[in-house]
Amino acid sequence: MDFSANHAGFVIASYALSFVFLAGLIASTLIRDRRLRHELERLDTQRQKARS
Amino acid sequence: MKLILALIKRDLTLSLRQGGGIGTALGFFLSVVVLLPIGIGPDQALLARIAPGALWIALLLSVLLSADRIFQQDYEDGSLDIMTMGPVPFEMVALAKAVAHWLSTSLPLAIAAPLLGFLVNLEPSAILPLALAMMLGSIALSLLAAIGAAVTVGLRRGGLLVSILVLPLYVPVLIFGLSASQPGAAPGLTTASLLILGAIALVSLVVSPLASAAALRSYLK
Amino acid sequence: MQFLANPTRFLKIANAALPTVWAITIVLFAIGLYGALVTAPADYQQGETVRIMYVHVPAAWMALFVYTVMALASALALIFRHPLADVAAKTAAPIGAVFCFLSLATGSLWGKPMWGAWWVWDARLTSMFVLMLLYIGYMAIWAAIEEPHKAAMVARVVALVGFINIPIVKFSVDWWNSLHQPASVFRMGGPTIAGPMLWPLLVMGLAYTFLFLALHLTAMRAEIAARKIRQIQIAEIGDR
Repeated sequence: MDFSANHAGFVIASYALSFVFLAGLIASTLIRDRRLRHELERLDTQRQKARS
Repeated sequence: MKLILALIKRDLTLSLRQGGGIGTALGFFLSVVVLLPIGIGPDQALLARIAPGALWIALLLSVLLSADRIFQQDYEDGSLDIMTMGPVPFEMVALAKAVAHWLSTSLPLAIAAPLLGFLVNLEPSAILPLALAMMLGSIALSLLAAIGAAVTVGLRRGGLLVSILVLPLYVPVLIFGLSASQPGAAPGLTTASLLILGAIALVSLVVSPLASAAALRSYLK
Repeated sequence: MQFLANPTRFLKIANAALPTVWAITIVLFAIGLYGALVTAPADYQQGETVRIMYVHVPAAWMALFVYTVMALASALALIFRHPLADVAAKTAAPIGAVFCFLSLATGSLWGKPMWGAWWVWDARLTSMFVLMLLYIGYMAIWAAIEEPHKAAMVARVVALVGFINIPIVKFSVDWWNSLHQPASVFRMGGPTIAGPMLWPLLVMGLAYTFLFLALHLTAMRAEIAARKIRQIQIAEIGDR
């Protein structure tokens, strides 16, 4: 990759844009997964305590 | 078959007696057609060039605007619930309602639209092909609008959602409708476009009752 | 498919597979990016700009692929009434929408230097735009209907009708384009791509596919947890 080439800015912008959106998608998916699974675990233990 | 005709007749009578059906749609159609030259400028040559497209878009929007009435009232007052239990297959009920919408709104609009074309300097030679294409296209427009109406029937603010869902379905109708109503086009192209428009109407005829009925059922359960 | 329909079994498999899938994704991206940015030559016509292809084309592939996955899952949900298929369709949509958006955005960034315009009403761009609308409509249905069971049933219809619509739009837009478009527009890519440019493209395509797999499995796992939480909360209200 030659960074001094014509239109290099467009190439960088494309990769940066793809990176930002994909990273955002990955982060939000992982965070949601973690949050919900912890929440489920908490509720499960709570219910087991309530039963015993 | 008799029952289906009775259903269509009932819906037609309802839309005629209540008013607001074709009247509102036609009023909306007129406002779009009047706003357009104001927005674009009064250049006659330019208007003549975009006239068929402008009329088609006005037609699409007017049909869309009236779409949510296809099932709304019968859903709210419980008539649809009863129709699911009736002797007529529910798909046929959905089809009857789409046909009633076509007869009461889309078809009158399709007939009126080319006549109102003089407002946007439509060439006289284009009136007939445009009328033909619009009448054929309006079948698909009503059938596709019924899908959108059925999918959003239980929602408070379904109106905007209907347009997002239905506009992608309208793209092919718009393209072939326009292609069939170009005044300067070769006759072979017009015929081919009309045939494809008919094919789209047939596909919609199969898909629309199935999809509408399935969507309505999920709201009724 | 029947085998995976059981959520517990699905979770077991997903939990076991996810670390491997993520690892493969990272390796593929490393190889693909190296190929795309280092070893692949600049195009003799387009210069360095051709490198946009390696993020643009896989995104476009995935946008189509993910919608196909969504439609297939919806069809399975409609036929076999497996709730897991609805979960699969629902969670695929936002991922597909991001891919679709990226293909449009990078396509626009590619078009500006090549065509001199940010947006050209070319047949492919137009179909992609319609696909984006289909994604938005599908997600809007899920967002608008509160009750998940009802939303699932309506969403199946929306996904399948959209799927039937895609080839018709493609056909009509090609037709429309041949009527209106002057033939001078520069054709992107073309069928003949040389080897040193082809393999990074394929690896990037594979990397995007694995990224989708990893994201989809994770999102499905989260969605299953969300539904269980909802059930517990409803049960608790019932207990009181």
